[in-house]
Parts: sequence; C-alpha cells; structure tokens
Amino acid sequence: MEEQPWAERFRPRTIREVVGNEEAKDRFLEWLRSWEDGIPEKRAALLYGPPGVGKTSLVVAAANDLGYDLLEVNASDYRTAKRLKEILGRASTQQVTVTGRRRLILIDELEGLSSREDRGGVETILDLIRETRAPIILVATVYTSLREAWERKLRELMKLSLPIELKPIPVVEVAERLREIASRVGVEVEEEVLEELAIRSEGDLRTAINDLEAVARGRRRITLQDLEALGLRDRQLYAEEALRRLFTAKTLQEAKGIISSTKLNYDELIDWIYENLPYILDDPRELSEALEALARADIHKARAERSQAYRLLKYMFDELAGGVALSLERSQGLLGVVERHLRAMGIPLSPLKLEERPEGISIIPVRYLGRDTWRRVNMAVRSLGGSWDREGRRWIVGYLRPPRIALRYWWSRERRRMLKSISSKAASRMHISTSRAIRDVIPILKIIFQSDPEMAEGIAEWMELDGDEVKWLSKG
Amino acid sequence: MSSEMWAEKYRPKSLDEIINQEEIVSRLKRFVEERNLPHLLFVGPAGVGKTTAILALAHDLYGPEYRNYIMELNASDERGINVIREKVKFFARTAPIGDVPFKILIMDEADSLTAEAQHALRRTMERYTRTCRFCLIGNYSERIIEPIQSRCSIFRFSPLSEEDVKRCLRMIAEKEGVEVSPDGYDAIYEESRGDLRKAINLLQAAAAASGRRVDADVVYAVLGRVSPGRVREMIQLSLKGEFIEARELLRSLLIDEGMAAEDVLRMIYSEVMRLDIPERLKVRLSDAIGEVDYRLTQGSRPEIQLSALLAKLALAGEEMRGGGAALG
Repeated sequence: MEEQPWAERFRPRTIREVVGNEEAKDRFLEWLRSWEDGIPEKRAALLYGPPGVGKTSLVVAAANDLGYDLLEVNASDYRTAKRLKEILGRASTQQVTVTGRRRLILIDELEGLSSREDRGGVETILDLIRETRAPIILVATVYTSLREAWERKLRELMKLSLPIELKPIPVVEVAERLREIASRVGVEVEEEVLEELAIRSEGDLRTAINDLEAVARGRRRITLQDLEALGLRDRQLYAEEALRRLFTAKTLQEAKGIISSTKLNYDELIDWIYENLPYILDDPRELSEALEALARADIHKARAERSQAYRLLKYMFDELAGGVALSLERSQGLLGVVERHLRAMGIPLSPLKLEERPEGISIIPVRYLGRDTWRRVNMAVRSLGGSWDREGRRWIVGYLRPPRIALRYWWSRERRRMLKSISSKAASRMHISTSRAIRDVIPILKIIFQSDPEMAEGIAEWMELDGDEVKWLSKG
Repeated sequence: MSSEMWAEKYRPKSLDEIINQEEIVSRLKRFVEERNLPHLLFVGPAGVGKTTAILALAHDLYGPEYRNYIMELNASDERGINVIREKVKFFARTAPIGDVPFKILIMDEADSLTAEAQHALRRTMERYTRTCRFCLIGNYSERIIEPIQSRCSIFRFSPLSEEDVKRCLRMIAEKEGVEVSPDGYDAIYEESRGDLRKAINLLQAAAAASGRRVDADVVYAVLGRVSPGRVREMIQLSLKGEFIEARELLRSLLIDEGMAAEDVLRMIYSEVMRLDIPERLKVRLSDAIGEVDYRLTQGSRPEIQLSALLAKLALAGEEMRGGGAALG
C-alpha cells in the first residue's frame, strides 16, 4: 500500500490540532460561527500568509469540527469566469446540501489569479461574495516579502471580505509538532535535529514535516550528523560557490548579481560570511570595515522585517556587495590569517612550510619540531578549525567553515533549562531578577560548587537544588 | 546543613541594622512609628540597599511574619503588565489582618516597564490604594513616568563608600572565618565599587576558591572566571589583534553563560573607559559602543554587532602599535 506523505497523513483533523496563529484562528472561528445567526456582513473570509502555516488545514479542520460540507475549488484551475460561475453559482445560492448539511465554499490558490488576465475571474468572485448564502473562504499563499504588492492587487477582494493573516509558525511550535510526529511514527530523533529542522523551515510547518520525513524514512534514530550529511552538504557547496565568487568580484554590480543569484537565503548568507570573514581578511582595517558593513547589512534587514518595508532590503544588498565583498584589497586571505595567527601564538615560522592548496592551507613541518612545538602548532591550528592530517604528515586548515548552528539557537536546551531553573531559584531567594541572577549569581555559584563542596552543600540545601542542578553547577 | 548565600545571610533584617543611608533610614523609621506609609519610589544603583530597606521596613512594621503582608514582583521577570495587574488584583483584594490596614507590594526594576505599562500600573495603584501600598524600585527616576513620581515619596540611594563596603566585608570575613589581606579587600572593592551585593558575592567565591585565605591574586583569579574578567580578556585579545580568539570568547559569553548582549556591551564600555589608551581613541570607541547599543534595540543580531565592535578594537590596537598612523 502506498503510504501517504507525512504532511498529508498528519494534517490536522480538528481545529485544536492546528498549530499556531491562535489569534487568527479565533477571529476565523468567530466569523464562521456568526453564520449560525444569519448571514453576516462579511460573507467571505480571506486567509492569507506564507506557505505551510496551515491556511487550508484550518478550513478543513473547521469544516470537520462545525459539521460543514466542504466544496473546494482551485482558483487557478478554473481560469475563466464562466467555469467559476458554473461551479460555484449554484452551490453558493444553497445554504444546505441535499444531505441537509450546511455548505462551506473554499476557493484555494487565489494567488494563481492574475488581476489583468483574469479580470473576469476576480469580478466573478466579487459577485459570488456579494450574493452568496453560504460562507466563502478564500485562501491565498502570499510570501511575506510580496505582501504589499499583493494587497494592492487584490484590494477589492480584501475590502469585501474579512482578511485574516496567518503568520509563520514559531520555531518552538514547529519543533513541538515534529516531536509529536516522530514519536507517532516511532523514530527516535535527537532534540537538536528537531530544532535545526524547525529553524530551517522558517515557520513553514509543511516543509519541516517534509524534511523530517526525508531524513527519517527507513531509520530508527536520527542524529545531528545524519541531518548534516543530508542537508548541509548542498548548502556548503552553494556557500563556497557564493563566497568564492563574492570575494573575487570586481564591481558592485557583479557582487550584487552574485548575492541575488545564490540559493542561500539572506540569513544563511550573512551567517556564512560572518563565520568566515576573519579567515579571509587578515588586514585589521579591512576586517573591521567588512564586519561593520555586515553589521549594517544586518540592520537594514532587521528594519525591513520589522517594518515590513521590503524596499529597505536593497540597502542590505549594497552593504553586503559593496561593503563586504569589495573589502578585500590588501589582505592575503587565509594564508595571511594563518601566518599572523601562528606568529601571534609565538610559534616560529621557519620550521614550517605554508602553502595554498585546493583543500585549504597546508602546513608542513620541514624538520623535526619536537613534542612541545608540535603541540603548540597543533593547538594553534585547531583554534583555526584545522586539523592534523596523519597520512600527509601535515596540518590542513580548510578555506570555509560552516556557521555554527548553535549560534542561531543560542544555547542548548539542557543549558537553557538549567539556567532557567537555577536562576529562578536564586532570584526568589536573593530578591533579584532572573536575568541578574544569570549574570551575577550563577558564575559565583559555579566557582563555589567547583571548589568548596561543604559550602556548596549548604547552599544547595538552602536553594533546594536537585541532583541535576548540583551536577551542572559542579562540572567545569 | 542549609546555609544561605552570604549576601542573604548578612542582609540587615531591621531598619536598626542598616549602617548607611542614615537619612533615608530615619525617614523610613518615622513611617513605621506612624504605622502609615505613602507609595514609595526607591531609586539608585545596584547593591546599595534598596530592597533591603523595604524588607527591613516591612519587618519592623509587621513583625517576624512580615512575609505574609508583602508581595515581591520583578518587572523584568513578569510577562507584561496584564499579568502584573492580575497578580496585584489578587494580592490587594483583601485588607490584611492586624493593626496595619494595608499590605505592601514591592515592584523591583519598575523602570524597565514601558511608559504605557507604567500608566496602566498607575491606574492599578490608584484602584487599590486603600489596601495596598506600592514600593517601586529602580535605577533611574527619569525612567519612571511623572504621574507615578508625583504619587510617590522618592528616596534616592547613593553608592556605598569604600569604607562602608570594607567594613561590611570585614565583619562577614570575621564571622565566616575567612582571612583576607588588605590588597584582597582593595581588589574586591575595585571590582564592585559601591555595589555591596557584588562585593559580598565576590568575597564568598574567593573564599571558596582559596580555602578561605583571600588575597588580591585569588580575587583576580576568581574574576577571570566570572563575566567581567572574561570581558576584559576578550578586549585584551582584540587589542592584541587576536580577533578570532576574541570572537570565541564572545560566543562563550553569549552562548555558554547565557549573557544578554546588552550586559556584555555595558561591561565592554566600562572596561574600555578604564583602558590605558589615548583619550581621543576612547571617545571614538565610546561612539562605536553607543552605536551598537542603539542597534541592539533595532532587532539586529547581537553577535554580529558585538563582533564588529571587537574588530574596531583590533584596529585600534593595530593603530596604537603602528604609532597611531591613522588615528582619529
């Protein structure tokens, strides 16, 4: 038997199962329930938002819960006004179906309707809404970045209906839903994997579930390494390509072209650049200027997102292209960075041969280093993310390092949980806020717990710390 | 056996035990005698006795069971003014039993509330004024809206003097059997300034780390393991041009220690101001820090902003080594 895709199999059947967007859900249900007292002022609701946030699911679940018969059409399947009218005209003038159940009309994929070519289509829908005796629900997938343009385009539809915006699902809720699904299909998934999938989905639950299915199929257990093996490799290739081209770009125009054509999203691009800049620019002035440009790019991006004024994104492009990409002039790249770093660690360069190789900077000892020097070089190399290549008898420092996932996620779940519980215990006993407790008290507690067991024991009892908390404070 | 953190253990229980802030204490004592209280607003820097004063006042007013008559909220820990309002409503609904007709609600970090939330708070204060007095605590009175200020008696707490801090540390060291050298006291004071809570915490950590024999070296070793010391190290690494290492340390502060970017920035600022570098450079760096401070409010990613600042420090270090070629 062909199994359904998970996104379908785990589609919510009831409104309670629909994840996120509580406020939008309430408004939608309130409107739908108002039909029980007669035809309301707004005869249609328009659900819109980015993909995978549960627009269609919400309608299907609501129809289930409130006992409606759902008549579903795709706006883009019925391009001509005539067809729409034929299909919907009759349905919309009858409140109940032949079986006596109330009817609900869902017009999906409204975004497929182009205002110019389908002028008639929009008109027909407008007419339908004016006359309908059954609730009509319009559903449109609108990418956040295109929202303004789209709202302009469908102004009339928005005016005549009750517009309800659905927003991307918060990371924690996506992760929670993935956890549920994983446990229902009996796959053991590392917490970090769930978080990473949730972050990558950018609030698109369907994509997150699809990704989970892709990595989980045929496995009993998924670790972060499995995930990285599957997904990160592509990103790494895209990123290497983009960064290599960026830093060899000669003009602003060229650099902008590279940025807009990369398959990475802006956050990823900024992450990759951020992670790698200090390994590309060894000249302090160039590094400082490039990081400042990156910081400014990030500001423009944050402003664009906060104010939903996406025209501001072009300044982010300029900073990334002009400020970051064209910053490379004097710097010698990774070779210069490695040299500078070794020198700063007090390591003599004379017994070492440094070379640019396709796989990275190779560092070959040209004579016997002695244990102590070898160790010091090894430590310096490792702090640059490089390692000893046993076979080639050399160290290799790779050109690019992937951004650390943890950074986007702050700190691990365990650490977060510990900090939270210990700091709230400290806060209430010491009459301070939890954030002050994290900042001022936890470091002090750590020192006490790591050096004076007797004092620690007394404090543990006073604070009513549990075994895990004591252990966490006591480890180095 | 259960034992409190020293900062708690040696917190004065009664107004009589408070050794400093004499003028404030004497005014508060008068309220206790009259068994009446206006709304209070305590402002001043951290660790100077604001919370201690109101707890001691409550103790003197209600007796040893004073905890039944007060509620402590920390504005920065509560989720929004509505939650606060609900809690206040629940607490202030009933008048207390006994000869004092009101309870006391203590709201710490009240200055972290938005102006809008403060207006809502003011309405709540008015509604329950018969059964409940409010004691608002904060660092800056300018951040408290005028209508609240005008309804409160304002008490301004000043930082403790070096002498007061050291006297208090000496008393604790003696009772806890800790030997502290004079330069040990100097080091603790130097780090904590007039913040007594910080000073006592530092003393306790230093005592734990040294088998109760504290000198300046011990204090500095302990500081190297708490945030200010690590921030200092991060700045030194940047100035030396070790940007990659400095960034690692920054990450560790933000990620491992869970510090807020604003706190890291505040520490960077106070460290930079203490650096032995040309004044002109200090001003330039202050400007850069101020810019980052503003950007943090704009929703940009803190780590990138702070890293850009570290790169500026690295550049400043380079310029100083290069004879200040492009300074200014």
